[in-house]
Amino acid sequence: MKEILTIKNLKKHFPVKNAWGTDVALVKALDGVDLKIESGKTFGIVGESGCGKTTLMRTLLRLVEPTSGSVILSEEIIGDEVSSNKLEELGSEELRSFRKQIGVVFQDPMGALNPRMLIKDIVSEPLVIHGKTGDVRARVVELLKNVGLGEEHLYRYPHEFSGGQRQRIVIARALALDPKILVLDEPTSALDVSVQAQILNLLNDLQKKYDLTYIFISHDLSVIEYMCDRLAVMYLGRVVEEADTEVLFSNPQHPYTKALLSATPSFDKNKEKIMILGDVPSPIIYLDESKAKLATEMTEQEKLEIEAIEGKGIDYIIRSSLNDVFPLVQISDGHYARVKQQ
Amino acid sequence: MLEIDNLKTNFNTYDGVVKALDGVNLKIKDGEIFGLVGETGSGKSVTCYSALKLLPKTGEIVDGSVKLNGEELTQASEERLREIRGGEIGIIFQDPLSALNPVMTINEQIGEILVLHQNVEIQKLAAEKEIPTYKSEKWKASPGVEFTIMAFCISFISLFVMLGQWRFSLPFFFVMLMLFFRDYVQKDNPASALDLMVIDALSRVKLPNPEQIAHSYPHELSGGMQQRVMIAMALAGKAKMLIADEPTTALDVTIQAQILQLIKDIQREENMSVLLITHDLGVVAETCERVAVMYKGKIVEEASVDEIFTNPKNEYTKGLLNAIPKGGKERLEVPNLEEVGTS
Repeated sequence: MKEILTIKNLKKHFPVKNAWGTDVALVKALDGVDLKIESGKTFGIVGESGCGKTTLMRTLLRLVEPTSGSVILSEEIIGDEVSSNKLEELGSEELRSFRKQIGVVFQDPMGALNPRMLIKDIVSEPLVIHGKTGDVRARVVELLKNVGLGEEHLYRYPHEFSGGQRQRIVIARALALDPKILVLDEPTSALDVSVQAQILNLLNDLQKKYDLTYIFISHDLSVIEYMCDRLAVMYLGRVVEEADTEVLFSNPQHPYTKALLSATPSFDKNKEKIMILGDVPSPIIYLDESKAKLATEMTEQEKLEIEAIEGKGIDYIIRSSLNDVFPLVQISDGHYARVKQQ
Repeated sequence: MLEIDNLKTNFNTYDGVVKALDGVNLKIKDGEIFGLVGETGSGKSVTCYSALKLLPKTGEIVDGSVKLNGEELTQASEERLREIRGGEIGIIFQDPLSALNPVMTINEQIGEILVLHQNVEIQKLAAEKEIPTYKSEKWKASPGVEFTIMAFCISFISLFVMLGQWRFSLPFFFVMLMLFFRDYVQKDNPASALDLMVIDALSRVKLPNPEQIAHSYPHELSGGMQQRVMIAMALAGKAKMLIADEPTTALDVTIQAQILQLIKDIQREENMSVLLITHDLGVVAETCERVAVMYKGKIVEEASVDEIFTNPKNEYTKGLLNAIPKGGKERLEVPNLEEVGTS
């Protein structure tokens, strides 16, 4: 196992200010994340909206500065001439060369493409910015062929393409500088299932061809199960469970993971049903100590929902019971979860 | 309940006529959950909008009929249609935040529907309990009297200010403030019949503290709560049928499970018919009894849920089912849409 990125105790807290500009609370978007990302594999990150998936991705690209913690880069992506192998200590020039090694594909392809630029300009822009001279046009055609588009698409605008084709263009642009890592932030959630299947096949082919490392962020568990080798489940800024995909799907330990796996709609009628009751708690932590702790007693909504569900043979987990934080425990080899120790 | 027969809808665009619906046949029985699945642009939403005649100006129904309990809707008058929409048929849309009005409280929005469709019941409840009908009427003078008081106040204030004796205008300021902030000054506001019915509608969808939620604005609620409010609004007119157009696409899977469970519970309690429009075959498998698959404005297959997942007949349905990742790591089959015939 060779790590390409090691994330150590990464924290990102956004301050919440009152009308006078003093900090009253913190949004703990990332609250101590430890991950090791293996080279040449696909690492999946799942969680509901607001759990910190996207903040984690943005901190990895250093688009936001982390509050504390570090990201340690391997020699494979930055070489050995740099002053430090920690992402937060890189200078601006070194950061530029680091960003060459990491490509990003965002969720909404239409939002990621400039509607007034031709495809040839969109795909060649990273090459121009990073001063790649030579036959740029030939390189662009090669990139487009890689993702299943052709030379005839060079002089067109993004609106002339379908959703799936647009996502292919975004992937081509992300691959323009031969990155080692590709960060995929919900790449297929805006697409239909048949188009999604095409894009997933394309991503698998590209990974084999260029030996890429994928960081795959999604909320669709069937896609995650298909794509990823290893998986981390996030809840309220923390990694609550981390394991190889098969292990996690066959033997989930954390109650939230169990509920998430069971909530995914499937064709299997006999599947065990665990509902999760109540609403997502707010990630805002007040600095005032009397309000600092998240409530662990049941809310009104949860009581109502328990009443509604009783006697229907459905298991349930109450959302406020997930607010207790337990230390990460090793369940088996490479399988960690935040569960209460017996 | 709802019977759609050979419905054809065209859209006139600059590039020519687009045949959005090309002969759709659907029958939704009393008290069943019917799923309508298809990809983007297959005509699922247009079917629902055509049935309620909610098409934009460029769209027109060229052929076919829509019958609600035997009553023809394509020929119905605009007034009758307004009674049906929100009255007999309730609708839930995909994104609750854009379907709710951001500057109206939940109370006002649900109240609007109740006044339009349940006015008789509100009057009855008010007479029965001897409470005000729409708004609390304590302290409230008629608009004419209020206007006169205001005008007097303003003229006295300006008179005293002009005379340089501004101290004497203070009592008139006080009267004006009391009039403006009447709602806050009045603590023991008796609930009106309308308020009671709004609270009743909110508690039907299992919302906690309905009194408090009724007075909040949509942005103050979470996504799941907003969708519950949408369902409460759709049911407020005592709907016999619910059309849910992608009700859970904007929500997380755990919240999606809650909302689907709620729709199922309400359907069973009130014995309603539900038309669930979705692109997610998993959602259909969990909630529906029968399902129709749409492709290019036509229904390519209609069957019970068990049958369609175990033994799909149409090539397109097979392709759609194969395209979903299912555990294994083998290459996904991409449906070849050119070869798919519509039968």
